[in-house]
Amino acid sequence: MATHPTQYARPEALVETDWLEKHLKDDGMRIVESNEDVLLYDTGHIPGAVHIDWRADLQDPVIRDYISPEKFAELCSRNGITPDTTCVFYGDKANWWACYALWAFRLFGHEKVKILNGGRDKWKAEQRSMTREVPKYPRTNYPVPTKRFDKEIRAFFDEALAQSKAGKPLIDVRSPGEYKGEITHMPEYPQEGVLRGGHVPGAKSMPWKTATNDDATFKPASELAKIYFEQCGVKPDIDTVVYCRIGERSSHTWFVLTYLLGLDNVRNYDGSWTEWGNKVGAPIEKGA
Amino acid sequence: MSKGCGKLDEAGTAETRSDETYPAKLNKIINLFESLPEDERRETLVSYADNAKKQEPREGENFNLVDVRKDEECMDTVGVYLHVDENGRAHIRMTLGPEVQTLTRAMTAVLCKGLEGCTPQEILDLPSDFVTRIVGAELVRIRSQTIYYVLTRIKSICKVYLDRQRMARVA
Repeated sequence: MATHPTQYARPEALVETDWLEKHLKDDGMRIVESNEDVLLYDTGHIPGAVHIDWRADLQDPVIRDYISPEKFAELCSRNGITPDTTCVFYGDKANWWACYALWAFRLFGHEKVKILNGGRDKWKAEQRSMTREVPKYPRTNYPVPTKRFDKEIRAFFDEALAQSKAGKPLIDVRSPGEYKGEITHMPEYPQEGVLRGGHVPGAKSMPWKTATNDDATFKPASELAKIYFEQCGVKPDIDTVVYCRIGERSSHTWFVLTYLLGLDNVRNYDGSWTEWGNKVGAPIEKGA
Repeated sequence: MSKGCGKLDEAGTAETRSDETYPAKLNKIINLFESLPEDERRETLVSYADNAKKQEPREGENFNLVDVRKDEECMDTVGVYLHVDENGRAHIRMTLGPEVQTLTRAMTAVLCKGLEGCTPQEILDLPSDFVTRIVGAELVRIRSQTIYYVLTRIKSICKVYLDRQRMARVA
């Protein structure tokens, strides 16, 4: 049996709540809140945190894609972020959207990124300070990224299909009911316009939540290794594709595999089930 | 209210709704939100969300119908309490579980205040297009369709009330 790591591959990618509380005013750092609840930041946030909205700020308003490099540079500039700024992301829903925002920042090549372990819920549960004061930072001049790292960390439909046909690791991080095709939306969420239920042929079901403890923190490295290496068949030398329904839950798993387990060949298929389940002729498997 | 509700003109497009389409109290709230710039609209929504707890049933109040449930469309349990007074006017109270999102909380306060004193039939006839006028296009997105959820639940309890009234009359 394989020996599993006892430490995260890149422990510097996580910060704990008590550490952050002591470093709120550090130079060269920007705390970024990103939530599913669109008004949650306005109800109170970590002092000094800026708000980045997953749709309004990160997605193109017309076509289904991310913002242009120019708009990313503008987003960073107006939030006082430079390429040297360490961005600490946190948010609701056990950091789904924080991981999504982090992944989008990586897409544009921003390297200094971290996640607040446990996210907003843990910070609040520990009764740490919150404010409604929106911070203002001096505008920066973030250079327009010369490339987007789609090839490295993002999978499109054809690539997910090729992954399926090749029998390479594909992880479906949705709920078991979505994976089996019994439902076409997350429990407790509205239908998001998917016509067919099921999963990509060959995909292994491993709901995103398997990687977290009850307080939304990440499980230890040894447990994560058992989950993904033993149960999902992920291997460091073979590339892996993760997906969910619109790419946010799979960003969480992408973060786990990339930063906590140290794999450098994991791609997030952000088209996910809302693309696959609507695509004419896309192969679908149902059941467990 | 209900003058010119949702009729189509000859070209098949919806008529612009007049202020009389909505109850006066709700109309005032709609006009307030429409007059606000985006940042103040967000602040006002948060203020309404902060006040959602004030819409809970108060001690000694009695209700004709109570509907407390957890639906798949909402993150947590939502309770709707309907009292119809001797003049046939509806008074609505609501309870919200801790996981209910901020916009849903805001809409709870907006609707409890805005529909206060309407008849159940007026509530049932209310078009839902005012919701986006309050929330604003920027906050309406695929995962925010639950902004309509509270209105749907309030209409649902009014429908049950009216159905029972009709049944009682037939019997």
